[in-house]
Amino acid sequence: MRKLAIAATMVATLISGTAFAEYPEKTINYIIPFNAGGESDVSARFQQAYLEQISSQPVVIQYMAGAGGAQAWSQLNGMEGDGYTIMGINLPHTILQPMEKDVGYETKDLTYINFFHYTPNALFVPKDSEFKSLGELIEYAKANPGMVTLSGSGSNSANHLGQVQFDQLAGITTTYVPFSGTGPAVTAILGSQTTGGFNYVTSGVNNGDGMRMLAVASENRVKAFPDVPTFKELGFDITGGAFRGVAVPNSTPEPIREKISQMVTDVNNNSEFQKKMEDAGFVLTDIPYDFINDFVAAKSEEYRAIAEKLGIANR
Amino acid sequence: MELLGYFVNALTPLNILMALGGVVLGTVIGALPGLSATMAVAVLVPFTFTMDPATGLIALGAIYTGAIYGGAYAAILVNTPGTPSAIATTFDGFPMAKRGDGSLAVTLATLASVFGGLVGGVFLLLLSPPLAKVALAFGPPEYFWLAIFGLTLISALSVGNTLKGLLGGCVGLMLAMVGVAVVGGDIRFTMGTHMLLGGFDIVSALIGLYCIPVLIDLVATPDPHLKVEQGNRGIRLREAFGIAWSSKFNVLRSSLIGTVIGVLPGAGGSIAGLVSYSEARRSSKHPETFGNGAPDGIIATESANNATVGGGFIPTLVLGIPGTPPDAVILGALLVQGIKIGPTLFTQQGDIVYTFIFGLLIATALMLPAGLLIGRYAYKSIASIPKTLLVPTIAFLTVVGSFAIHSNLHDVQMMLALGVIGWLLNRCGFAPSPIVLGLVLGQIAEQGFVQSYLIGNATGNLTGMFFGRPISLAIVVLAAFTLLYPLVFAKRKEKARKRALDAARNFTDSDGETTLAVADAPKPGFEPFAGVKKLMAQPRDAAGMMLSVLLIIVAVLAFAQTSSMSPMGSVFPSTISVAIVVLSIVLLGLNFLRKPAAKTAGHGAGEESSSRRYALVAVMAVWVAGVPIVGFGCMAVLAFLLLARISCYEAMTRKQILGEAVAGIVIVGGLYLLMAEVLLIRMPKGLLF
Repeated sequence: MRKLAIAATMVATLISGTAFAEYPEKTINYIIPFNAGGESDVSARFQQAYLEQISSQPVVIQYMAGAGGAQAWSQLNGMEGDGYTIMGINLPHTILQPMEKDVGYETKDLTYINFFHYTPNALFVPKDSEFKSLGELIEYAKANPGMVTLSGSGSNSANHLGQVQFDQLAGITTTYVPFSGTGPAVTAILGSQTTGGFNYVTSGVNNGDGMRMLAVASENRVKAFPDVPTFKELGFDITGGAFRGVAVPNSTPEPIREKISQMVTDVNNNSEFQKKMEDAGFVLTDIPYDFINDFVAAKSEEYRAIAEKLGIANR
Repeated sequence: MELLGYFVNALTPLNILMALGGVVLGTVIGALPGLSATMAVAVLVPFTFTMDPATGLIALGAIYTGAIYGGAYAAILVNTPGTPSAIATTFDGFPMAKRGDGSLAVTLATLASVFGGLVGGVFLLLLSPPLAKVALAFGPPEYFWLAIFGLTLISALSVGNTLKGLLGGCVGLMLAMVGVAVVGGDIRFTMGTHMLLGGFDIVSALIGLYCIPVLIDLVATPDPHLKVEQGNRGIRLREAFGIAWSSKFNVLRSSLIGTVIGVLPGAGGSIAGLVSYSEARRSSKHPETFGNGAPDGIIATESANNATVGGGFIPTLVLGIPGTPPDAVILGALLVQGIKIGPTLFTQQGDIVYTFIFGLLIATALMLPAGLLIGRYAYKSIASIPKTLLVPTIAFLTVVGSFAIHSNLHDVQMMLALGVIGWLLNRCGFAPSPIVLGLVLGQIAEQGFVQSYLIGNATGNLTGMFFGRPISLAIVVLAAFTLLYPLVFAKRKEKARKRALDAARNFTDSDGETTLAVADAPKPGFEPFAGVKKLMAQPRDAAGMMLSVLLIIVAVLAFAQTSSMSPMGSVFPSTISVAIVVLSIVLLGLNFLRKPAAKTAGHGAGEESSSRRYALVAVMAVWVAGVPIVGFGCMAVLAFLLLARISCYEAMTRKQILGEAVAGIVIVGGLYLLMAEVLLIRMPKGLLF
């Protein structure tokens, strides 16, 4: 009897072993829950060629935009969990959306695999602005409460959270003006429609010398902008922005989850990939499958505190 | 002279091949509603990585400009804008096609598109850096007023029926408010469903509101879809050239409007088309022909929307701000290739940029022969294809197109629901165009307003924000002009009529001798309520009254919901719902004062088959509901065959029916492959296939 059981287990491991050892053996579909051309799309495009190299399989990028990503994330668990469907996933989006309202998924329902980069928030002003440093802007804002207008992409977004944190830590009141995306928000800064704005560092790369970056919300200075100080250096504990990674349907087997995480990490270790991403203003990070749930839990707590201040932590 | 060198660079065989291939592919994709330039460009991006950057860009630009042009086909031939840019093309394109001038309309659209595209391209080539400043001068108040300007077109579109037009516009604005608000982040009017969180998609609404009514009416009669032209008049190129030449100012003005609006990152081809349509109508000597098949309407829209292509690349390349969604994809592609965007791009990487711009110009020029050739067959095939194939094919396209936008069946459900509602509304005298205008412009107007308010309030200069900026003021004046124009025009026409009458009287009085106007000509009494009197003379409109009551109920419910929203998120919806209530009450009141309609023999519905209409709607509803259960392809083939039966008016032999079935499978299969394998759209999977 025992022999039989051992044999059965061996056969089972063998079968599952062969089944998973071969992965990947066909095209991998990489779904981006946003429109083409945004930060999520661009970073996935950077990955695409290297993922194909590592997996020796084609990687196809598809788009499922809608409701700030919620349309796609709420459908993720209904997709085939065979490892050939992976989806881009973003923080704080997948934490804030379900915290605020019922969007068809919960933060804990999603199977996070690996966060591979983030785009830190940065505070920008137009290039001909009177404010040459963060200190000058804060001084002006203290003297004129509410007069400083800061643009950003959308309400209750990573940009908005940055502005709320900034107001709180600097003890000032600024006016946040939401726009329908990073593009229009940057346009408002370039055209001096607003005093400045919170936006991702990547926007600073695209728009060259039209804007001045006063401070960046990352742990260390960003490689693309070595002269711009971090908020931390200036005495404000603000680090944040948008984290991007991949997720899979919850029916995906463990070995495949680990394999995908390893593939993403391998791409991150490629020096050519690193250079391209850093030149474009992305900050690489590596939060693999083993640590990712703790990371999401920690972030959830951090965001909840801010969301409560914003009055959007309804659930 | 340096420029000439770049021109020669652009003339490699590969570049020309890419330009031609791109334009043809783009035209086909643009002609299919729902399949967008963004999609085609996004799919091709990875292929361009293996090419020389300029060649890759040329291919992408060619697809983009081809798709904007291709949108005119669907607009002219089936009354459905293939892309949102072609909304205003439907106003006159479809009436022209209906009366048998379809090929003339297509040829005119081709000429206008090519010219507009070239103008936009030349501005991109010569004036990019200064024009990019325009994009920056446009702030929230300007966008708000631009949207209001666009909305004033409603008054022109619904002459004689202004009240219903305005109500329709408000309904559209209200639809635009549904979903998660960009400003404020409120969740509005989703009725607790996840389906509505993303709001109503504009493209799926366009397909529904324009295409479904066409289908419903198509099955109701055995009449052909379009009138077949008398004799073989070909593409009527000479005639089209003549019309375009006599409207050269219209062509030029619309191309310039298109270029400038293309430069604005928040506007795009649909607004460019609407604004130049409105301007063409205002400056025309025969504005009453607009909406009834005026060639000038097509010329204005099509030259403007293709001019936005060149215009849109200006902020993309100079500022790194994409002017339109396809520009965003192309910008992403440049980034991935490691090309630095910005003013230095033109000086430091001129070989790439200028070669690309010349390539875009070449592609636009190639659109002329390619477009004329495609147009020749497109009109013929739509006009001669039997109804039993046409109806199911269009129906299939509506489903495929609305699904393709986000790979989401919700969009298909919304498309069908809006379509049926739109048909009913149309029967009650509410045209779809004001609703679409409201839907397209609602978000822009709201965001512009709230942003302006926030900035104005913060800086303590609210009035200055809305009324103190020169560009804003200019747009306000233009908007006021357009709004009042129908009144002014009516008066002018009245005056001209009187002058002619007086002249005739003088002529007879003086026995042929011309004299100065006689002083004692009878002056008409002052009648400020003449218009109202005329309104009152119409019979009572029972359907309109019922609808007003319904709208009042909906608006009151909506208003009640706004109390739980943030101030930013509630200002627009509450204002619109109040406007709906007021307009509905006026409409209701007017009708109460009218005399009941004389009992006539219905709508003369004798020849129209209502049962076929119901059957079409029922089949489509079952189709959409069955996709997630049974499968996409399976349901499509089944529905195709059923719809063919519904639209069949004559006895067919078994052989013919078999041929029809084969054709159905080929069409469904072909488009399925195009979507799943070429455009890489995720298709829904059911039990079967």
